Amino acid sequence: MTEVTEYVIEVDKLTKRYGDLLAVNDISFTVNKGEVFALLGPNGAGKTTTVEIMDTIRTPTSGKVTLLGMDVTKNKHDIVHRIGVLPQGFSSFDRITVRETLQYYSRLFSGMKSDVDGLIELVNLKDKAKEQYKNLSGGLRQRLGIAIALVNNPEVVFLDEPTTGLDPRARREVWEVLQGLKKKGKTVILTTHYMEEAELLADTVAIISKGEIIAMGPPGELIKNNTNYLVLTLQSGDESVFGVVHKMGFEPVLSNHKDIKVRVEHTDDVLKILNAIRDAGALYRGLDVRNPNLEEVFLKMTGEALLVDSVGGKGKE
Amino acid sequence: MNLRVVVANLFVKLMSVYREKTAMFFTIAFPIILILVFGTIFMSQDNVEYHLCVQDLDQSNLSAQSLKSMQKDGKFKITMVSPDINAAQYIRDKKVNLVMVIPKGFERSLTQRVMLSDLKASVTITYVYDPSSSSVPTKIQILNAVLAGINQKISGKPPVILSVEKSILTRKYRFIEFFVPGIIAMAVMSLSLFGTVNLNTELRQKGIIRKLSTTPITRTDWILSDILYQFIIALVSTTAMLLVSYAVFDISLNIDAWLLVFILLDVFAFVGIGMILTRFAREAQSAAAAANAISFPMMFLSGSFFPIELMPGFLQTISKILPLYYVNEGLRAAMVFEDNMTALRCSVIIGAFASVVFILGILATKWEEGK
Repeated sequence: MTEVTEYVIEVDKLTKRYGDLLAVNDISFTVNKGEVFALLGPNGAGKTTTVEIMDTIRTPTSGKVTLLGMDVTKNKHDIVHRIGVLPQGFSSFDRITVRETLQYYSRLFSGMKSDVDGLIELVNLKDKAKEQYKNLSGGLRQRLGIAIALVNNPEVVFLDEPTTGLDPRARREVWEVLQGLKKKGKTVILTTHYMEEAELLADTVAIISKGEIIAMGPPGELIKNNTNYLVLTLQSGDESVFGVVHKMGFEPVLSNHKDIKVRVEHTDDVLKILNAIRDAGALYRGLDVRNPNLEEVFLKMTGEALLVDSVGGKGKE
Repeated sequence: MNLRVVVANLFVKLMSVYREKTAMFFTIAFPIILILVFGTIFMSQDNVEYHLCVQDLDQSNLSAQSLKSMQKDGKFKITMVSPDINAAQYIRDKKVNLVMVIPKGFERSLTQRVMLSDLKASVTITYVYDPSSSSVPTKIQILNAVLAGINQKISGKPPVILSVEKSILTRKYRFIEFFVPGIIAMAVMSLSLFGTVNLNTELRQKGIIRKLSTTPITRTDWILSDILYQFIIALVSTTAMLLVSYAVFDISLNIDAWLLVFILLDVFAFVGIGMILTRFAREAQSAAAAANAISFPMMFLSGSFFPIELMPGFLQTISKILPLYYVNEGLRAAMVFEDNMTALRCSVIIGAFASVVFILGILATKWEEGK
């Protein structure tokens, strides 16, 4: 018996141009029901444009997006009742409290009975319910944005860079909320340029670069299929460490201006490098050996680093 | 249209402005300040007294008597200039704008004319003036009228043509009573136009419009809630203006349903224009500049501050195609002249204009970010 897969979203040969700029170039993919699907790529890769076409904010130049069985360009009115959206750089009314904001958005969806208190609890904003939006920190604002996206109990949730610009602690708090959504079985479309976020939350990751999807699959599979090495990180090594490793025939890379990263094929290579550094009298503060991550996959496939500033940049992609 | 959505939007907008008390205060205070300033200036013009400098070169009893009679009707407060001083230099030094010079031989010439019926005897009063002063023509006009009266009296014959003033109004109205309806029209226009432009460009720049585009709210719901919101703000502002005008200037105006009709039409028209501007001027600064470019000429050309009859003919023609002109005319017809037919005619014109810009405003409002 053949298993029938239920696609919530089908993107077929989608292209978007802004004048001469080709933002999205002939991309196709599908998203299954209950799946967390992440579009991973640097700023300007085309993630936001792709998502904004799917969630009806923008219209495509060509191609077709079918969401819950409906063409997004022809059925906007029906679709908006069934999706929830956290747009990039979300903002709300400055002088309106958390509770009032959620009540306001729930009233826009006539006929829907929203559990405002439940949503406040879900995003852990109970003690901020009476706080005006302008007084909320970045992390709290994003959590409110996620709650707003859920106000109509949507079948599909679009979260466009939900943690960009947040400090690590606030980012982890948002991740907890997103993991809660995953447990509830919501279909979530997530865009991010944080590979850690995509690895942690996504069932499927589509790596997007210059408007094209260059790799797609479960994060573990993507890493396994595209890398066959280990990454040795020597923390705060002095200049001589770099020279020693380089002399041994490896290709060290300086990361964050202080750590030295080296790709090695076997654990034996790690020992050889450490012995050589010790013999040369060079110093480092610590070390880490791990399997490669999505960042290395991106680097391998595009020749460019995915590393981004933690505060990130925003803009039309 | 979804009433629940309109009310939800209205609530958010009202709560936002209620909690932004400083902005609310200045929104209401601005037209009140205008009324207080212009009202005070023009109230005093109803009983205006001009400063007149006189150089009496004759120094006679008759010249002194003539000046006394000029002072009697209260139009002039006279300052005497010494006969030894050059009048033109006096104007420059003392920063005055006009010196009336009574020539030497004034008494002699008048006596010759009156007592001896010498028709060749005459006297020439000289006005030495600074042409850069705007009040000089008015002063000269009044002085000429006074001199014409004196000439008439001296002739000893009763005037052939007499005149009598008859107002079309049953009551005598003061300038402030014509001014307040104009300021109401202007203030409602500014509130609606700038309120709409500022609010919508701010919400667009903050991405709130983008978020709203993913909800079921329609453009009609959005604009109607904006109109209702601006209408409530306009009512609050108008009430404040009227209360201050009654309290400070003791105005007497007819307040009836026409006032509400014209405020609503004023709001409708200028919220529509605001929506159109927001569509084409995407940044807050350029939208505000565009709103200024529309509202400022309209303020001065549509008769809010002074009658359009004072303007050149071509500007009067332009005035009559401006929507604010019909709000001004309609409000004055209703509040001052109690002329229902004129009010009805103006309301039909501004209503038609408001309907067109409302529809254009809906069409211009764009939720999606582009093709």
